[in-house]
Amino acid sequence: MKRSRALLLAGVAASAVLLAGCSAPADSGSAGDGSGTVRFLGPEDPATFAPVIEAFEAEHPEITIDYTQVPFDQYSSTLQQRLGAKDDTIDVYAVDQPNLSQLAAQGFLEDLSDLSDEAKAATSSAQFEINQYDGKMWALSVWNSTQMLFFNRDALAAAGVEAPTADPAARWTWEQTADAGRAAQAAGTQYGLLLEQVEAYYQLQPLAESLGGGSGIIGDDMLTVDVTNDGWVKAMDWYGDTFESGLSPRGVGGFQTAPVFIDGNVAFFVGGPWDVGRFASDASFDWGVAPMPYFEGGEVATPTGSWSWGVNTASKNKDAAREFIEFAALDPAGALTTTEATTIIPSNSEAAATYLPGLEELGGEHAAGVADLITYEIEETAVPRPVSVGYVQFESAMNTAFADIRNGSDPAARLEQATTQIQDAWKKLR
Amino acid sequence: MTASLAPSQAPAGRRRSTRRRLGPVGTSVLGAVIGLAFLIPLWWTVVNSLRPGDETFRYLNPLEWRTFFTLTPTLDNYFALLDTDLGRAILNSLFISLVTVVVGLAICATAAYGLSAFKFRGQGLLFSVIILSFLIPFDAIAIPLADMFRDWNLQNTFFGLILPGLGNGMAIFLLRTFFLAIPEELVEAARLDGLGPWGVFRRIYLPLSVPALIGAGLMLFLFQWQAYVWPLLMGTDRDHVVGPVALSNLQGQFAVDYGVLFAASVILILIPLAIIIGFQRYFIQSVSTTGLK
Repeated sequence: MKRSRALLLAGVAASAVLLAGCSAPADSGSAGDGSGTVRFLGPEDPATFAPVIEAFEAEHPEITIDYTQVPFDQYSSTLQQRLGAKDDTIDVYAVDQPNLSQLAAQGFLEDLSDLSDEAKAATSSAQFEINQYDGKMWALSVWNSTQMLFFNRDALAAAGVEAPTADPAARWTWEQTADAGRAAQAAGTQYGLLLEQVEAYYQLQPLAESLGGGSGIIGDDMLTVDVTNDGWVKAMDWYGDTFESGLSPRGVGGFQTAPVFIDGNVAFFVGGPWDVGRFASDASFDWGVAPMPYFEGGEVATPTGSWSWGVNTASKNKDAAREFIEFAALDPAGALTTTEATTIIPSNSEAAATYLPGLEELGGEHAAGVADLITYEIEETAVPRPVSVGYVQFESAMNTAFADIRNGSDPAARLEQATTQIQDAWKKLR
Repeated sequence: MTASLAPSQAPAGRRRSTRRRLGPVGTSVLGAVIGLAFLIPLWWTVVNSLRPGDETFRYLNPLEWRTFFTLTPTLDNYFALLDTDLGRAILNSLFISLVTVVVGLAICATAAYGLSAFKFRGQGLLFSVIILSFLIPFDAIAIPLADMFRDWNLQNTFFGLILPGLGNGMAIFLLRTFFLAIPEELVEAARLDGLGPWGVFRRIYLPLSVPALIGAGLMLFLFQWQAYVWPLLMGTDRDHVVGPVALSNLQGQFAVDYGVLFAASVILILIPLAIIIGFQRYFIQSVSTTGLK
């Protein structure tokens, strides 16, 4: 009996030692003197940020950047929980731009207003404004985005349709695009038109904006839903009909769409700059790029915005954290390294000017004119997502509504339902 | 009268025997169809892990034989996984799960022994609390629990990832029910031979309960192997990333390579599958004999 008790005690002691061994907490950066470890949280693959981290560490040998990836789908909610608990193991984090005001309102972002002048000089006005909330600047824009109309030139040629060009002055309308898509279908292509993020507000907002429907959020406090106006209903009627009529496929979800274009099964595809590199390497047919369409008689509006980086208020290493985001956003050479391993546009204007010709080169003759087109869209036609503390709830309810509309729900009724849902969710924010 | 009965009896007898013959055949066919229905998504995953990501959706609409078969299988997706954190994540998950099984079984079996072999005041209440603990979904308490763990500085540590899996109410419940079925006479005989409470536990209860222990161990293993929300809340830096989080991380923001994603899923399925198939005899035994006298 003594032996068995001794054995048990030994077992318990061994497990205690084992567990204690695994519990040594990660080394926390030295406090406040601009050196040590900066913990950086984002939704990207570590390979994406490897170049910027390497370049920064080479320039600042006293600072180490420790990057942690959180899956994109859970990024917002994980961030919310961890920042809410004053998690000091996050120093710098990537901020999805439409969520900025909510994060700032909750006190999760360090005020960076002293960098306003430099930030204003470094980027486009839309990208500068997007980081403002309550008269202060809370983050620095690192990436920017836009959307373009990719087309399968072979499919259009088979239907005898002349393909659009990259010239913004010769921008096609949605009606024209749908007609050409149907002609391509009649000539044997499986689908006429496909949007990359079929159920995402980011890509669908411009449809309503083009018809005068606005962003869907109005009011001084930006907490009034306005998605049942004529512009929104008309845009969603058109969108629902593209699926109803078979112009677009129903069974393909967001981000499963690019392979459909790569396989040559769709005539028109609305996607982002990241698709240029992908199509260049994977598509085996003749494709091209044109400006994103607008509705006949309506306004031209294109999506914009991407990611900013901010400093956590609970961080114990804010000076070093600021050094890092300044390097990635304000230093053109630093900004350029953030896009080295991915095809997205740097927000820094000088970096973008160096980057875009390279992107055009990546796409070869198919992507001719894409650099000028992207620059034009970002400066002239970009409509940012609304800045509202209720954006997160708004986007989530709208994305569900888009999914239902493309699967056959009546647009007007479904938008009414979304309005009720959003208003309910916003009650506690008012 | 016999003549009039005979013809009516004969077809009834044939009907019965036909029904008797058709019965098992029908059930087998139905069983096979249901089995296939369960297998199809898994099979589709395996096939797509063997073809390039861009071909994943090529043969989906309309369905054809190539949806479920490929003539040009390639292991490229599996090789691509070598460049990701998945290998490290699988080792982490295995480490976390195995430590949970060993330490968790020690804790749960001791608790179950205490609740079944001794009588003490408040025993019923204590047992009710344990039952309640597994009736509340873990995800529901994960967020406040994560706040507490953060206060204790347990974020990004294996200890923080392992700890919530150790005390499992369901495992205690299963083991206690199994322990209650151990004959009192056996325990008394052991006591007469000079064994104390620990001796009885170690020499009588544990050896007799191997199937139940394996069942409870599998439960503890799967709890950790599938854990997703908790690791996300506790922090998953590169040194502590676990399998399901690494799998989800493969899904990029702008593009998803479904071939690589499916290859990673197949690997994450194979490991528990091997363990469950290895132990399934005991697992089924433990659940089916729990409570039998």
